[in-house]
Amino acid sequence: MSHRWGMAVDLDRCTGCEACVTACRAENNVPTVGPEQAARGRAINWIRVERYYEGEFPDVRVKFRPVLCQQCDAAPCEPVCPTYASHHTEEGLNAQVYNRCIGTRYCANACPYNVRFFDFANPVWDKPLHLQLNPDVSVREVGVMEKCTFCVQRINEGKTRAKAEGREVRDGEIKPACAQACPTTAIVFGDLNDPESEVSRLSHSPRGSKLLEDLGTKPKITYLR
Amino acid sequence: MDRRQFIKATALTGTSATLASCGNPEYHLIRFIPEEALTPGIAVLKPSVCPLCSAGCGLSVRVIEGEAEVIRKNQLGVTKMGLAKKLEGDPAHPVNQGRLCARGQAAIQVTYHPDRLGHPLKRTGARFTGQFQELTWDEALSELISKLDSLAMANDQKSLAFLTRPQRGLRSDLVAEFASRFGAPEPIAFEFFSDDVLRRANALSFGKEQLPTFDFAESRYVIAFGADFLGTWNSPVSQSIGYGQMRQGRPGVRGKFIQVESRMSQTGANADEWVPMKPGLDGVLALGLAHVIMKAGLRRPEAAGGAGTLIEGWAGGLAGYSPEEVEKQTGVAASRSERLAKEFADQRPAVALIGGAPLAQTNGLFSALAVNALNALVGSIETPGGIFFTPQGRVAQTRSIDKVADSNIQLLLIDGANPVFATPPAWKVRETLMKIPFIVSFGNFLDETSTLADLVLPDHSFLESWVDSRPESGAKTAVASVAGPVMRPLHDTRAMPDVLLEVGRKLKKPLSPALPWQTFEEMIRSSEKSPAVIDRRYSGAARTVNFIAPQFDGDAGEYPFHFLPYPSAAPQRICPGCRNYRIRSRARCGAAGWRSIRRRPQDCRLVREILWRSHRARVLCGFPRLCRRGLRPM
Repeated sequence: MSHRWGMAVDLDRCTGCEACVTACRAENNVPTVGPEQAARGRAINWIRVERYYEGEFPDVRVKFRPVLCQQCDAAPCEPVCPTYASHHTEEGLNAQVYNRCIGTRYCANACPYNVRFFDFANPVWDKPLHLQLNPDVSVREVGVMEKCTFCVQRINEGKTRAKAEGREVRDGEIKPACAQACPTTAIVFGDLNDPESEVSRLSHSPRGSKLLEDLGTKPKITYLR
Repeated sequence: MDRRQFIKATALTGTSATLASCGNPEYHLIRFIPEEALTPGIAVLKPSVCPLCSAGCGLSVRVIEGEAEVIRKNQLGVTKMGLAKKLEGDPAHPVNQGRLCARGQAAIQVTYHPDRLGHPLKRTGARFTGQFQELTWDEALSELISKLDSLAMANDQKSLAFLTRPQRGLRSDLVAEFASRFGAPEPIAFEFFSDDVLRRANALSFGKEQLPTFDFAESRYVIAFGADFLGTWNSPVSQSIGYGQMRQGRPGVRGKFIQVESRMSQTGANADEWVPMKPGLDGVLALGLAHVIMKAGLRRPEAAGGAGTLIEGWAGGLAGYSPEEVEKQTGVAASRSERLAKEFADQRPAVALIGGAPLAQTNGLFSALAVNALNALVGSIETPGGIFFTPQGRVAQTRSIDKVADSNIQLLLIDGANPVFATPPAWKVRETLMKIPFIVSFGNFLDETSTLADLVLPDHSFLESWVDSRPESGAKTAVASVAGPVMRPLHDTRAMPDVLLEVGRKLKKPLSPALPWQTFEEMIRSSEKSPAVIDRRYSGAARTVNFIAPQFDGDAGEYPFHFLPYPSAAPQRICPGCRNYRIRSRARCGAAGWRSIRRRPQDCRLVREILWRSHRARVLCGFPRLCRRGLRPM
């Protein structure tokens, strides 16, 4: 049985600590662009924590929501790509092939979640910061789109390990950097095709909803209120 | 002859031949023989301990072979070595259980920071100008040794002082041991929001002079007084794990969480109810809750035991803390405090905690004792869902930073503390340090405090050295973590404990009988049998405390706003786009998110336009700067 990777984010557990954001940057070689570029809206964050304020002082409520690529089943970013750089894998991931990408940015315009980022410049790491770069993840150069991959390098590693040991992938064995770091276990990752998995159970929770559900993008991330 | 020996034998001739064959040899770094054998591309997980706060989380560091420019024997060159790539939480560690906070994740850049110091430095210009000159370790150490010797010659050992961070472990034991054997007073531990007040309060209330551990996972009701326990206070990762369990970890049960504070912290933002109140009066509200609980007969005053008898008027039901009186003082409505008190007593187990800013007030001890008494009243001490105390081993004695100003220090050794940056100017730490004739810093960076130093002896980063930690809180069992170096050093640095041991050996009156180890590693290995858990009972003179009003220290002009983290902190302004949308009050522009603005778009064409354009970016109109950005096509 093939996998269908998905995620559940429990917003009641999420404290907005941004450990996921930092972990993602460290794992995926996400570049920093500097204050000028960031002010022009060119900062790159594969995952971000959105803040919402409700009510007026002193009865203020704040809500945090980690937003990353929703890995939609009907992804608006895919049909617009002229080079098939943005495509759907057999396991349901919205993959981005950097070598195919010619930087039309159609996908970023089509994405309703604002989770695709264009590299406006070559990334720079002052020496010796470049020694920290993860060799399992390619560094994106100028002119391509980049986005959350659900830590596909970890998925592949986990599958390879399971295959070498002659068994199925266990639930909870593969964790993207964000889910691994999350101190409150708000982020849970797993196989939606496995009805016994934690993420399947949470995805069917009555507290669950999808982000901008009415757009019909069929996201694979469920947010639990 | 195996491969390694072959490389060794041919290293010299091989290198020169290669260099000659490809252009100008000056542009080529020497290639060192690898110091370790690793398989390329295969990650190895090595244990370490996070040093960034005193929580002492266990790390599992991903190490992969790579090529790095390193300094070996004063020579720059390239070598293949294991490089730390990512810090992850150690799943087997009782404190963080495989999780790690944002700060811990970023700690890897301490090692790879471009501004890290690579050599010992000696000050050449005036203090604070940052003029330094490189020197060798031998020169640097002989300078430090001669300073220590001259103190010993003058029989003035008392004027040596250590300034460290409040860490518990063999490293701090070594510093304390060095100081006491030399004849110096105990080290000074610098901590900005000092938790010493809470330690003292716990000693008086419960006989345990240490920070508490909370069992949030079992709690049903939590009231936090100013404690940013999900952010940075105490043991944030272990507390966050418990918080997640409290919210959704038990089927059908969702713990409620109330935060009482004067500035909304990240922790307060997660509360079901955020209760703003006047600063410094947390103790009054806590006693107000206790008053309601006792008056309604939900608990008897005796239930609080020794913690209650410390509070004046406790046995009489705290007549002076009626909800109306509390409202007058703190600004929290009487009906609200009454309701909170009843909920707190009804929901079991319930726990109250205090930390951070309230303890830094002049009446911090009173506030902490009041919250302790409230906890004791509902029976939340050492019971599931309440407060626990991690069993403690031996703790090196330290003293507070106020002592720097009082004593006549001739030689100051600074390890990892940066009080010049962290303290308000009114404390005059910089002026005090300027008066000390000789300062040695073991810092990795030229920070505000290191630029005052006469000699900088850069330490290894924590990934390059032996690390250990005995956290004071965060687990119900005693924890001691020890880990070896994860990678070899990148720069010409030396581990600070090794430097202390070497200096101790080379003094005219050597300390080696008391500190017989050659290296810190030897010391760690010899103390493998961890010290027996000592129950540190504290017996202080029991004296009742009464409410003391908090006082403001210093002049308000000395505390300028440097940073406006929230729109609410920005002064009132006119929107630069349309010149008519006045960001009216602090409260309105700060608290109003885009949802609230959307309800009154007639206020400003600009706001409407921003909302329209920034539907995807969701830029707030609280900040004029963001407004302009919002108008630019994205």
